[in-house]
Amino acid sequence: MSGGLLELKDVQKDYRTYRFGRETGRINALNKLNFSVDRGQVFGFLGPNGAGKTTTIKCIVGILNCDSGSILIEGDDIEENRLHSKNKIGFLPEQIGLYGGLTPTETLKYYGGFYELENEIIKERGKDLLQKLGLDKDSERQVSGFSLGMRKRLALAVSLLHEPEILILDEPTSGLDPRGVKALRAVLQELNEKGLTIILSSHILSEIQEICTHVGIIDKGKLIRQDAIAGIREEVKKTAIKLSLRVKGFSDSNAKQLNKKRGVSVIEETDLGKHTLVLLKLKENLVPWVTDTLVSKGVKIFSIEPQTSSLEDVFLKETGSDDND
Amino acid sequence: MTKLNDVLSRHEAWRPLTIALSIILVIAISHKIYWETTAETNPGKIWDEQTFSIVDPGEDENQIWRIKFEQEVDDEVIFKGVLETSPRNEVYQNFTTGGFIESEGLVYTEDLYGKTMLNVGGMRILVNGNLSGEFFESEIVTIRAHLVENTTTFQNGPNDVTLIREGWEAEPEDIQLASDIDYYFFGTEVLILLFGTYLYLKNMKHLRNQLNLIWHLAKFEFNSGMRSSRMVILGLFFSLFIIGIGWVLGDMQEADPETSFFVESGNHALLQFSFFTFFVVSLAAIAVSVDSFHKERQTNTLNMLLARPITRESIVIGKALGLTMVVGAPAFVAQLIGLYLMILEGDIPAISGILAFLLFGQIMIFTMVTFQLCFAVAARSGTDVVIYGLGAWLLFAIVWNLLVYAISFVIGIELTEGFETNPEYQALASHLGLFNPGYVYQFGVGLLTHRTIAIDMGGIPGWLVLLALVLWPLTCLRASTWLFKREMKG
Repeated sequence: MSGGLLELKDVQKDYRTYRFGRETGRINALNKLNFSVDRGQVFGFLGPNGAGKTTTIKCIVGILNCDSGSILIEGDDIEENRLHSKNKIGFLPEQIGLYGGLTPTETLKYYGGFYELENEIIKERGKDLLQKLGLDKDSERQVSGFSLGMRKRLALAVSLLHEPEILILDEPTSGLDPRGVKALRAVLQELNEKGLTIILSSHILSEIQEICTHVGIIDKGKLIRQDAIAGIREEVKKTAIKLSLRVKGFSDSNAKQLNKKRGVSVIEETDLGKHTLVLLKLKENLVPWVTDTLVSKGVKIFSIEPQTSSLEDVFLKETGSDDND
Repeated sequence: MTKLNDVLSRHEAWRPLTIALSIILVIAISHKIYWETTAETNPGKIWDEQTFSIVDPGEDENQIWRIKFEQEVDDEVIFKGVLETSPRNEVYQNFTTGGFIESEGLVYTEDLYGKTMLNVGGMRILVNGNLSGEFFESEIVTIRAHLVENTTTFQNGPNDVTLIREGWEAEPEDIQLASDIDYYFFGTEVLILLFGTYLYLKNMKHLRNQLNLIWHLAKFEFNSGMRSSRMVILGLFFSLFIIGIGWVLGDMQEADPETSFFVESGNHALLQFSFFTFFVVSLAAIAVSVDSFHKERQTNTLNMLLARPITRESIVIGKALGLTMVVGAPAFVAQLIGLYLMILEGDIPAISGILAFLLFGQIMIFTMVTFQLCFAVAARSGTDVVIYGLGAWLLFAIVWNLLVYAISFVIGIELTEGFETNPEYQALASHLGLFNPGYVYQFGVGLLTHRTIAIDMGGIPGWLVLLALVLWPLTCLRASTWLFKREMKG
């Protein structure tokens, strides 16, 4: 995947601490970060808290400067022409900041002014965007009276007003109710179908799985995995599966015995009354061993069902958060 | 060497300005050398070096007093210095002849009528003409004078004394304002600076685009500011204060000259008016600047702004300009009304002074706004912004004089009665005043009530005041953009 729409090469970033204007320390945020995003992708940016997702996004959109390395958009280093690059990027921050005293129409006019769009164009595009995002009826109401979902939609309209080539969203679903999440997902899918490249960071893995075509996993400021989402799923299948067993007579000693075996872990036990539902994570070749062991200890097995592998498995494995692996 | 090359290449855009400033520095040094080589810039020293001797020739002969300078008679020297007293008060008229005046080194005779004894930096020079209204106190002048010797006899108590005096004399046409020459140097410097700035701006990428965005942001700040209830109340308060002060200062020109409420002239009233304007307007500048960066950071609108195609410099300039308009527009209207009321009751100040009062007022507001923006950008909390801002205001507007007293005391200037007229104290206060934007504003207005910038303002030349008026806003603007840009480092 060379020469993508967006490319990060060995991006290094430290946060500095100052005392009386003198630098007193540094905290590493990005450590030789490399990844690229092709045109038309929906790229999910995954990572635990403090991994460097927001820092990466801030460097791309120009809120922060990286210390070394380069960020390229269509092969051009953004440092060399940051203003030009900003015209190609739409950005939706995690914490939405809008002026409460303005109406959506005024908000769009204000932000549109930074792209030197003519008033007529701002009006036309703004009307269209507000309609698409379900804000047309509130276009003359002050933003201070808006819910978080409405603010997010308005901020999305702002980020799309100048028709960017890349839309970057930092934790876009945070604070939204399920209906809002669903609506946002629909909008993003529609935009992507029209050719917009989307990069979104999230810690809600199911979100990434639902929307993204590609995923990058970042941890401690370094990209530890980048792949198409389908490829990651395939790999999960090869390496580990989840098994759901409906059993009777399952005790703590059975769980301990299973956990002792390398490559097997009991994820969850749910008491269903007559039966117990046990969720296991294991390598496929250990399934006979599990059944044999349980049967030999007098546990009755009523059903065995494999679970769909999730992105969470990969995320936990790659970031080392899965202690049993 | 590599580091130096890195620094040079990083600051390549600044090269035209750096070159221009270097040339200006060379011209400024040449300017200084020019005066040092063509004129005597310390006339007081020559005056102090004169010798006075008394010769007692013996019985039945007059006592001979001799005043002599180190120079030879008929020597010609160009003196450059400050007119310590107003020539209007130094024209010989209505005096009693025959007396010897030690401070002037001559005997009052009838032929002195209508001549002027100038005090140029402590040196007494007799001008053969009436200079009343031609030159004024504190103006810096050059005088082509020559040393003459004359003899007069006068009665000193019971004795007849023959005074053989050497003294410096000049013709009225031999006197000119130093600014007649200074303007050539300053003019060249300004032209070079303008040319350097032009080249610098020409090399700037997206200049027109960024100027448009600065204006867009400034208009937004102005509209938001003027709509905020805080600004409406504050604007009303300081506008009424300015208008009221204008009216009072006009009225005070009519007061009894013996009272402390008396204001001497329209120009003096204008100076006081500029101080009171600074007093309230600088406070308003704090109030509007507090909200700018800190609040925007808290409400996350700053990140939305930073993601737009506008440079950080343009953001600071745009905000500073907008906030200046928020305070400056009502202040300007209030100043105009205040001036009208002041003139209605009192004298009309110099037109150039009025223009300076209005124009420099806007520069002062811009300076205070950018000064406060430094705090707004750097402070960690809203409380910090307010405390730092109020601290700076207290320092500049309220306790500055105490600071000057303290420094005077520390360096050994005696603060006894009448110390405020002590030239040493005045020089210190004026020099320190250059570090206070309020005083710089007052100095600027005071300077332009005169006809020339070749003015001594209590130990500092007028051009230094103009330089301070330019450097203050530029330094504050640079500091605030530097602080804001430093954030990008993280």
